Amino acid sequence: MKAIRKYGTVLKLSLQNAFVYRSNVIGGLLFYTLFIFVFFNLWRAIYQGGRVAGYSLTQMVWYLCITELVVFGCRSGVFGQMNEDVKSGSIAYQLNRPYHYVFYQFFTALGGMVFNLLVFGTMAIVLGMIMVGPIPGFRLQSLPFVLISGIMGMVLNFFILMALGLTAFRMEENFAFYLIYQKLVFMLGMFIPVEFLPGWLRDIARFLPFSYVAWAPARLAVAFSWELFIEVFPVQVLWAVIAFFIAMAMYRFGVSGIQAHGG
Amino acid sequence: MEAITVSGLNKVYRTRIKEEGLGASFKALIRPVYKQVQAVRDISFTINKGEILAFIGPNGAGKSTTIKMLTGILHPTSGTISVLGLNPVKERQKLSYHIGTVFGQKSQLWFHLPPTDSFALLGAIYDIEKDKLKKRVDELSELFEIGDLLQTPVRKMSLGQRIRCEVAASLLHEPDILFLDEPTIGLDVVVKQSIRELIMRMNREQGTTIFLTSHDAGDVEHVCRRAIVIDHGQIILDQPVKKLKYDYLNRKIIAVRFEVPQRLEVPEGVKLEKSGEMAARLSVDTRRCSIDEVMRWLIAQGGVADITVEDPPMEEIIASIFSHKEEGAAG
Repeated sequence: MKAIRKYGTVLKLSLQNAFVYRSNVIGGLLFYTLFIFVFFNLWRAIYQGGRVAGYSLTQMVWYLCITELVVFGCRSGVFGQMNEDVKSGSIAYQLNRPYHYVFYQFFTALGGMVFNLLVFGTMAIVLGMIMVGPIPGFRLQSLPFVLISGIMGMVLNFFILMALGLTAFRMEENFAFYLIYQKLVFMLGMFIPVEFLPGWLRDIARFLPFSYVAWAPARLAVAFSWELFIEVFPVQVLWAVIAFFIAMAMYRFGVSGIQAHGG
Repeated sequence: MEAITVSGLNKVYRTRIKEEGLGASFKALIRPVYKQVQAVRDISFTINKGEILAFIGPNGAGKSTTIKMLTGILHPTSGTISVLGLNPVKERQKLSYHIGTVFGQKSQLWFHLPPTDSFALLGAIYDIEKDKLKKRVDELSELFEIGDLLQTPVRKMSLGQRIRCEVAASLLHEPDILFLDEPTIGLDVVVKQSIRELIMRMNREQGTTIFLTSHDAGDVEHVCRRAIVIDHGQIILDQPVKKLKYDYLNRKIIAVRFEVPQRLEVPEGVKLEKSGEMAARLSVDTRRCSIDEVMRWLIAQGGVADITVEDPPMEEIIASIFSHKEEGAAG
């Protein structure tokens, strides 16, 4: 009960905080629109009618809208936050409080995610409808499942970023991890669907967490099937749990030998 | 009754060192060389409940490292610590309900939100019941005179206002011990004084034990009853502030600027450290000559444009402690 109040208040406050960053939201929305617009034109040029790897142009545009939504929704800056907390020493404030740092950060980020999901989600629908119209064959009943897959993608993304950010405890320069991870997510789902990849790479990608961040929910949105949901959702959960435990271990490992910076 | 007991405390860091040049960089990549840095060296002390202790020393003396070990953030290399009967390393969470911390250079308030929101969050974090929290916030906002600020986003506050809110935030859960790490850093004289008064009131009215680090001699002089001086990780002095004041905090620096050229003949107890035609820097031995007397004398010279009175920097005080000790050993 106490824990619910504790982390519930964290969630509420971070949601409140998200509303304060107005220019940030507007900037994000502009960038999001620009991104979608550029790729919409790119795909339109590539698609001279017909389908590519089973995706129609309409599906492809919606696919992009969703993957972007998941990745933009995670713009909670968790990697930067961890890095900053550890390197500036402000983690000191957070360690001697009666809460768990990892959970505290998660619920802080969750507030931002919920906010982004609402704002960017609305934008995604507006843009998709304007550019290509509704997704063919999409049924409202499948929406909740697409949503929970999207949220799971964000959660997975969050814990991977957190684990990477917490390497700051032991490493002076860890930004490379972030860049590599970002590129992997970009290439394995965010930018192009996994179906576009050559067969051998697709097989490898299936056993890696990266495509479960953006590809899984987007694929579910544009071509929903129960078989697909049952196939990908448990894998998303599994990877999220693994990433969570890695982040926890990184945290424990970091704290036990903490070299607090900044005096 | 003891609030904090520390014995034989040591903290050794390992930092990477690298020689100059590209070749050395390459070598360091393959086989890094480490250097041991002893931040805290075999320190022991006891602090009783209700005490106000100043833990002072120059930058890099080991003050923050010690505070971080006392609050369980850093693990000591060796030695034992007991804070309110708890071991900070093993019982950090449990201890956190009973201690409060203010790090002058770091903020615990949400920057874009008003303090009242941060207070609600801290209330939830420390499991304070809602009614109790409200009462406590009322009480603290009266004491700290922050009632008008409660609804103002932190980013719109001055540093002094923010620090008052920071200290109030760290007291919400009625901690038995309050750790203040450089609470007055960067504040102007008036705000400094009001923070000092607040700290003293907290101690008097709620019996809060205060552990304060500072490199501002004024903090020590005005707030604390006992001072521990630390340098290079070692305790070099542990005595009542009264004695410290008499022995070492007995000097003030006065800088004065004149509108017309002056030749000064200083009274007894005052040393002319630097002098020009239009300005001078004086060192006053307050045991022999009070600031009041020096001021009267200066004004009597006529044509004073500006006067500032300062405490000598902590580094100088430490140096005089050392020279005093050596003299003592020699004599």
